[in-house]
Amino acid sequence: MTAFALELGVGLLLLVVFFANLAARGEDRRWVGGVAAAGVLVLTGVSLIVSPAPPAFGGMFVQDGLALFAKRLFLAATFIGLLGGLALPGAVFARRAAEYHLLVLGSLLGMLVLASARDLILLFVAFELMSIPLYVLSGFAKREDVAVEAALKFFLVGSVSSAVMAYGLSFVYGAAKTTSLAVVARALPGGDPLLVLGLLTAFTGFGFKIAAFPFHMWVPDTYEAAPTPFVAWLSVAPKAAGFVALFRVYFEGVGSAVALWVPVAALLATLTIVAGNLMALPQQNAKRLLAYSGIAHIGYMLVGFAAASASGTAMVLFYLVAYVFGNMGAFLVVDAVARSEGSENLMAFRGLAQRSPLLALAMLLFLLSLGGIPFVAGFWAKLYVFWAAAAAGLYWLVLLGAILTVVALFYYLLVAKRMYIEPPAVTGRVRLERTLALAVLLCVLGVVILGVYPNPVVMAALRVAAPLF
Amino acid sequence: MTAIPLLSLITWSPFVGALLIMFTARHRPLAVRLIAAATTGISTVLSLWIYMAYDREGAGFQFYEKLPLVPALGISYELGADGISLVLVLLTSIIIFSGVFASWTIAVRSQEFYALLLTLVTGVFGVFVALDLFVFFLFYELAVLPMYLLIGIWGSTGEIRPRGIFAWAYRETGVGTKEYAAMKLTLYLLFGSAFILVGIFALYVVSGASSFSFLDLEAATFDRGLQRWVFLAFYIGFGILAGIWPLHTWSPDGHASAPTAVSMLHAGVLMKLGAYGVVRLGMGLLPDGARDLVWLVGTIACINIVYGALSAMAQTDLKYVIAYSSVSHMGIVMLGAATLTEAGLNGSVFQMFAHGIMTGLFFALVGLVYEKAHSRDIGKMGGFGRAMPGIATAFTVGGLSSLGLPATAGFVAELLTFLGSWRSAHPWWLLPAVAGTFLTAVYVLRVAKQIFWGPPSPHFHHLEDARGPEWVALVVLVAVLVVFGMVPALAIATIDTATVGLLARILAP
Repeated sequence: MTAFALELGVGLLLLVVFFANLAARGEDRRWVGGVAAAGVLVLTGVSLIVSPAPPAFGGMFVQDGLALFAKRLFLAATFIGLLGGLALPGAVFARRAAEYHLLVLGSLLGMLVLASARDLILLFVAFELMSIPLYVLSGFAKREDVAVEAALKFFLVGSVSSAVMAYGLSFVYGAAKTTSLAVVARALPGGDPLLVLGLLTAFTGFGFKIAAFPFHMWVPDTYEAAPTPFVAWLSVAPKAAGFVALFRVYFEGVGSAVALWVPVAALLATLTIVAGNLMALPQQNAKRLLAYSGIAHIGYMLVGFAAASASGTAMVLFYLVAYVFGNMGAFLVVDAVARSEGSENLMAFRGLAQRSPLLALAMLLFLLSLGGIPFVAGFWAKLYVFWAAAAAGLYWLVLLGAILTVVALFYYLLVAKRMYIEPPAVTGRVRLERTLALAVLLCVLGVVILGVYPNPVVMAALRVAAPLF
Repeated sequence: MTAIPLLSLITWSPFVGALLIMFTARHRPLAVRLIAAATTGISTVLSLWIYMAYDREGAGFQFYEKLPLVPALGISYELGADGISLVLVLLTSIIIFSGVFASWTIAVRSQEFYALLLTLVTGVFGVFVALDLFVFFLFYELAVLPMYLLIGIWGSTGEIRPRGIFAWAYRETGVGTKEYAAMKLTLYLLFGSAFILVGIFALYVVSGASSFSFLDLEAATFDRGLQRWVFLAFYIGFGILAGIWPLHTWSPDGHASAPTAVSMLHAGVLMKLGAYGVVRLGMGLLPDGARDLVWLVGTIACINIVYGALSAMAQTDLKYVIAYSSVSHMGIVMLGAATLTEAGLNGSVFQMFAHGIMTGLFFALVGLVYEKAHSRDIGKMGGFGRAMPGIATAFTVGGLSSLGLPATAGFVAELLTFLGSWRSAHPWWLLPAVAGTFLTAVYVLRVAKQIFWGPPSPHFHHLEDARGPEWVALVVLVAVLVVFGMVPALAIATIDTATVGLLARILAP
């Protein structure tokens, strides 16, 4: 029973939000979001006291350390995302707030199940449960052409990737004659070419989900058109879920056969880091900039994946935690500035340090964290990932990654330059809703605390990653 | 060994100052400056104290401190100082203490300026005393990053417009502007740190010691092939910071655009940090790699000396002259290290110290001249010696040290380096090195004559000499330059305790 406490909790919360909406009167129903956020906060608290449980349903559903680690991350990220979106302006959003939150919670449920899925069918269903609400949410502003375009692009690419993944998994089933991942993992060292082919094909599908190059095309357009607090969440939580699924399918119990994935992952990491960073360079829209830089970050996580070791897996998990705070924080600041200035262009950040010093400082911290600068979370994340890759002998990948961080710092520093060096175009503080400010503050705390004292999270990640190998 | 963590006090005192400034001295400019002077003063006094208290007979790393940080990965906060670090810590404290006074007149956002400056200094001190490679790297990054904002916000943009066939490209990319210089400097140095990081990781992984401690890694043995490429990585990484040709181009732009105290600190101390990294990590941990690759280090150093001096001759902007002279003088530092002789290595470290003080003095003077005359264009200036005799005298002393006149610190450093080159495996290095000194004499004397001793320029009126706190910087720096020139044993005796051991390791069969 305790094995699915969190999933049941989210299901219950879905019902509560649904009925709250039915009971609601009036045009402004944003308070329903408050219910959802409060519920997720409670569940985040519950997730901290839940302990690992034995596998259920004949091993289909596992509640091990990795699942719990991931679920805590998903819940915390969702809470921050919901908090940031509580005060989204606009009459349409106010009226349809319950839809928005139901969809987010539905997707969250998919992620939670995904983290525990140890069976191909369950894995695929969870993936779809996570993905489909995301397509709807991307087109939430359905009367705007860009939103429809973004949603359609996301949907088409997502469907194709699901299809490719299902195709690959069908090979796996054909070769292994079971849907149980545990059995597949045991069969893999046998080196059945059909099995390897199936898993490699499925990797393409995963590549789409985590937005690795060259499967990234949907990212910038979708991010640009969708509501920013949702994008903040979209840019981290589904990616984290994708990585956890990757670990489950490609690492858990595979033993020495993990070496199969090293060249593929290293190549994908190289391409993703180089392409993401280079494409971010010319961006003038803050959300597109963060979208491309996010692609590059996925590349860095793939560096940890390419290490194909317990420490590599743990370091990717830590990277995900750092990335959640840094990237969500940056998107939320962009949202704050965009709401106040009516522009997502980087020029809107001019002189921010003189107008709202604290907001500018928060953004600087997020950028430094994303850039991998000491004493904020992202530094340890990059460092640990590199360390794991170096321990696996991938020195060239470390050097390449480290050099490309210089490119990343260039565009991050350009934002810092706008904020700190250039004079403001308009005067007056940036207006900031309380809930959004709180969400930004939570991200700042996450980035700084992890930056100063990363040890507990690193240790936890190492602990949960160890049993996979 | 003492119970008091002296090195930690020296390192963190400026950082505490930065915090105090941020939180207590809002909108009180005088308090900001007094806090900065007091906290860097503490560092200076303590650096002098440990410099005297160092047991030269015992040698090795002293004032040792250790505190485990992440035991699982073998990271600990481990500090210690030997002869080389001591000299550089002393240099850093002298420069920053003078720098605080030299930038006394900063008007815009002085609170943030001093806070960032002091944070930066903590990073520099940390690099010189850290014995844990990981902590070393942290401090290194801390020493590089605040620079972006320091130059970007408080820097100055050159007044001489680009000419020649690439003028359009210069305008397009904003060459010469402070934003350009700040970005270039930051990216170059972080590019270098990528190589350093890979090198450190390689040593950590290959040694199998599960420790980032310098002492543990020193005890480990690495095979020759690995040593070569890691040495090369360290040489590129740290070399960028030390301004090795052809990766030096960030340095003239950065130093010319930076505000006075930052130029002083950067040219005076941070470039030494690069040379220190090559000597400490490159030569200290990778003796075979160092032995195999010194030919490269020395040859590039020779190019540095001559190329830097020739570039300095061609400049019309006073700050660029000084900046290129740093490139040239850093060549002497690297050359001395590459000789792998006792004299050369001593000369190298002594040159780090002497050049640090000298360049610090130069940039302080240029800052003062700019502040009084609002110009950096050498062609327009003339006859300033009448209006500012103090500044003129200090500049001349610095210049004489720069060209290596006996009785100044520069002479001792260059003589030792030349001696070392002659005794090294590549005596021909002596030729470009001596030629560099000659070229230095040409541009230094030309600049000094034009600005201070020539006929008065019609462009400037109401010039005045240094005032109040500004004197502190000049007097301290000139005094150090002359005292160490007269009694070089003050530094050499300390440096020698470290270099002998280092050389013994490298030259051991």
